[in-house]
Amino acid sequence: MSALFIRFILGGAAVVASTLVSRKLGEKAGGIFAAFPAVYLAALLTASLDFSGDELISYSVLLSKGAIVGMGINILIAIIAGYLVTRKGWKRGLSQAVGCWVIISMVVVIFTTY
Amino acid sequence: MNYKDLIIRFVLGGAAVMLSYLVTVISPWEILAGIFAAFPAVMITAVLMMGVISGSESAAKVANGSVFGMIGCVVCVATVWFVLTLTNNWILGIILGLIFWFGSSVLVSNLREYIKNMEIRPKGHKVGSFHKSQAEQHK
Repeated sequence: MSALFIRFILGGAAVVASTLVSRKLGEKAGGIFAAFPAVYLAALLTASLDFSGDELISYSVLLSKGAIVGMGINILIAIIAGYLVTRKGWKRGLSQAVGCWVIISMVVVIFTTY
Repeated sequence: MNYKDLIIRFVLGGAAVMLSYLVTVISPWEILAGIFAAFPAVMITAVLMMGVISGSESAAKVANGSVFGMIGCVVCVATVWFVLTLTNNWILGIILGLIFWFGSSVLVSNLREYIKNMEIRPKGHKVGSFHKSQAEQHK
């Protein structure tokens, strides 16, 4: 349970810290830091709490493999969100985009596993 | 400073890292942990907050703009993956991932700015060239 709590705190803190840095910097540098891969890096760094040596490397490679697929899905979701938010308003559009993220992720998991 | 925005980002970011770990422990699907690690928490919160403050049109612009930021994230993850596979050096993988993320993000940002400047440039030349080509057709 404490392992989950530590990850929640670190993940949340990483996202908030990157947001605060992006706001402190100017428009251009702030825009770059607004897209900082905080969740991925937090997941990667917290992996060192449980693994070490070769186990840590193989887990990190596995996490990165999944994350690169996830980032691809994210690009697709951002395009879908842009389309749906314009057509259906931000509340319905954003909820449907998150729904699409779940569905596409599950389809990718099923196709890559079986 | 909008604290509501920060709290939503904190909860979504924390939940994504927590779920990524939980999936690793309990689920048989190895790829799912990575997909959760790439959860677009920042994009969702940014679209949500923009929707609340300025409405759907601005929120859609944020969603479309985030595509460019995600290119840098793909480069970061690909670099970490490549360096880890090649050198087995965990720290080096993360450091190079961050360097390549920053480099590619600056490049994409400059490219985007260049394209934007091209779009807002006066279209006088284009109109002129159209008339010219039309005039040439009539000759």
